Amino acid sequence: MNSNDDSDNSFIREALPAFISEAQEQTEQLEQLLLQLEDTPDDRELLDALFRCAHTVKGSAGIFGLDAVVGFTHHVESLLDRLREGQVVLTPALSTLLLRCNDEIRALIDAAANGDDDGVVPPARAALITSLQAVPGAGAAPAPAPVVTEPAATGVRWQLSVAFGADTFRNGMDPLAILNYLRTLGHIPHLVCDSAAVPELDLLDPESCHLGFEVALDTSAAQEAIESAFSFVRDDCTLQLQLQPQTGSDTAPPTPPAPTPETTATAAPKQAQARVRDPASAAAPADDQRFIRVQADRLDAVINLLGELVIAGAGASLLARETRQSSLIEANEQIGQLIEEIRNGTLQLRMVPIGETFSRFRRVVRDTAAELGKDVLFDIVGGETELDKSVVERIADPLMHLVRNALDHGLEPPAQRVESGKPAQGTLTLSACHEAGSILIRITDDGRGIQRDKVLARAWERGLVERGVTPPDAEIFQLIFEPGFSTAEKVTNLSGRGVGMDVVRRNIEALRGSVNIQSRPGQGSTIEIRLPLTLAIIDGFLVGVGNSRFILPLDAVVEVIENRPTTGSVDARGRACVELRGQVLPVVSLRALYALESPAPERSSVVVIQAGVQRFGVRVDQLLGQHQTVIKPLGRMFRSLRGMSGSSILANGEVALIFDVHSLSQLAAEPAAPTPRVVSTPSEGLVS
Amino acid sequence: MATALALPAELTIYTVAELRTAWLAWLGEALAGADPDEPLAADASAVDQVDTAGVQLLLSLANALGRQGHRLRLHQPSGPLAQACQLLGVAPQLLGATPERTA
Repeated sequence: MNSNDDSDNSFIREALPAFISEAQEQTEQLEQLLLQLEDTPDDRELLDALFRCAHTVKGSAGIFGLDAVVGFTHHVESLLDRLREGQVVLTPALSTLLLRCNDEIRALIDAAANGDDDGVVPPARAALITSLQAVPGAGAAPAPAPVVTEPAATGVRWQLSVAFGADTFRNGMDPLAILNYLRTLGHIPHLVCDSAAVPELDLLDPESCHLGFEVALDTSAAQEAIESAFSFVRDDCTLQLQLQPQTGSDTAPPTPPAPTPETTATAAPKQAQARVRDPASAAAPADDQRFIRVQADRLDAVINLLGELVIAGAGASLLARETRQSSLIEANEQIGQLIEEIRNGTLQLRMVPIGETFSRFRRVVRDTAAELGKDVLFDIVGGETELDKSVVERIADPLMHLVRNALDHGLEPPAQRVESGKPAQGTLTLSACHEAGSILIRITDDGRGIQRDKVLARAWERGLVERGVTPPDAEIFQLIFEPGFSTAEKVTNLSGRGVGMDVVRRNIEALRGSVNIQSRPGQGSTIEIRLPLTLAIIDGFLVGVGNSRFILPLDAVVEVIENRPTTGSVDARGRACVELRGQVLPVVSLRALYALESPAPERSSVVVIQAGVQRFGVRVDQLLGQHQTVIKPLGRMFRSLRGMSGSSILANGEVALIFDVHSLSQLAAEPAAPTPRVVSTPSEGLVS
Repeated sequence: MATALALPAELTIYTVAELRTAWLAWLGEALAGADPDEPLAADASAVDQVDTAGVQLLLSLANALGRQGHRLRLHQPSGPLAQACQLLGVAPQLLGATPERTA
């Protein structure tokens, strides 16, 4: 190591979060690979990839001195290596063991993230290690001979000279593993160990590495890929890479360990020497250069600033217009357009595919199905659909609950399925697609469906529906999202405690989303979740009541009844009815509901809103048109204000409150409350 | 004829330090009463886990013996050990040039 300890430590401190996040991705990938391998247990590429993942985790953990991670992952890596070499066959039992080990690695990484690497091996981990070592195959003395992996059909031959640094072992690295990694890249026809530097036993520090290797490698991999095999030991190893003329034969005579400069110059058409000393790149393996990690709160800060910029820009262009100087107006408009583009581009940065979240459920489905003795085919459709990262993060838990619920209640045990003429294997599909400015997530199972009568009976029993009243089917299904509702006859440890579905709905609604359920007896159920693509921005419809401005989410606006005379009787909470194409539409007056102090105009308009399955009208004074806006959360004082989800600052600096249509509809449907909710004319003071 | 050195089940970075001490002691005894023509034997059948540090320690032992005009003979190398030697390209030094030893 040529850098001093202080700068090393600060490098490690700064790079640790990146390692943690990368290692978490590696474990995620490990899990996915393991699950894929359950279908194709001898897929060589998957096995190689699996080994590489474990190798990468162990390698980078070594750099950060996370001994617990290195120690445990080492055992996993060894087993994966044996799998790759075909000495061990991936059985379902082994797969389960490896999945549990992967969980352990993940737990260790989390522990490292929290800084508690206490060096104590808990019994559970020790048991896993024992099981790993007990996997049969190792003692069976496999033919040690030629390590032929895959022929490098179209590759070239590289000559590698590597001298490992003295600290290699102490840093948790094993040249054996690195050579094995090289073997995943191609074929090694020839390998010589240079052990001349190994001192005699009495002079040896056995924990220092004194070995060097001359390796011939036939591969089609790029030079960077070969170098990346050594990325964990770059700090203190000397690596030389040389392209050899293609001999086309694996029986080429051994290349002398140290080629003289003359032979090198004549023999190598292209010589690429790399003496790699690059600690900065050590933490980032070569293949994900396309991504930059950014802390989410920094991105949020930028988006927030952009919101301010949009407002300031609009203010500036207003002033420019007042000056009536055409060149100034033009310049301002151009700035405005650029701001718009930057804002859209920045919001795009937060978009991530939902597939990552979906594939996390593979494991849940696998384990849950096994626990329940069910056979389930899990299918993912539309994993590339993108939505805001914060939405993805917050939807994971509700989705998990719904998936478990479908497995537990929806899908029948195999015997019962066969009895009712269905294939023994149940199907659970998770799909996502974009639809009308929002994302639609569907959880579909082909199970028994919702037992309508049972739900109804329970609803009567719990007083959710008046006894004897039978609402339409759609409403009955929706009842399972009511608080304190559960139809499970026996409580399993997965679901059925009666908590959950209402929480699921609440969480989804907190994301400005909605949840809907369809079911056909004996054929299965589909749960549909509709979510906004992002929480940071909203396509709104701006309306005015007196001096106040409000924004209704444009998705929820169905149509507008313009300029009607304000007639008809309204109750104390401003509720009335209007006739719309022969149907009665309940209408709520914002002026009455929020007790806005301004005289009602003679004529007013009604905005028709769709909230879930029901429609209602909102009576307003003015329609001010479509308005795309950045949502600012309400200040703490106004959190309790019902019917609102946030606020936005308009171009002229005024504050507009943004409605949440669901809570607005609930608020409007409530019986008249004795105390009216008072909202002063919105002003800057509303926003914290 | 000295007693054969029994290699442990674990021949890795975690054990090399103590093994070196033990082997040095064995080396002193073995060399004292050894016949130069007779290779010194090490029973390698129990080795279950081995890494590069372990192999390096074996190389060092072999070098030490070689300096004294002796040879190290690994008796019945276990699968993992034989494989590690192959993979690291040290089979000629440690297992002998010809593979008949494993037969």
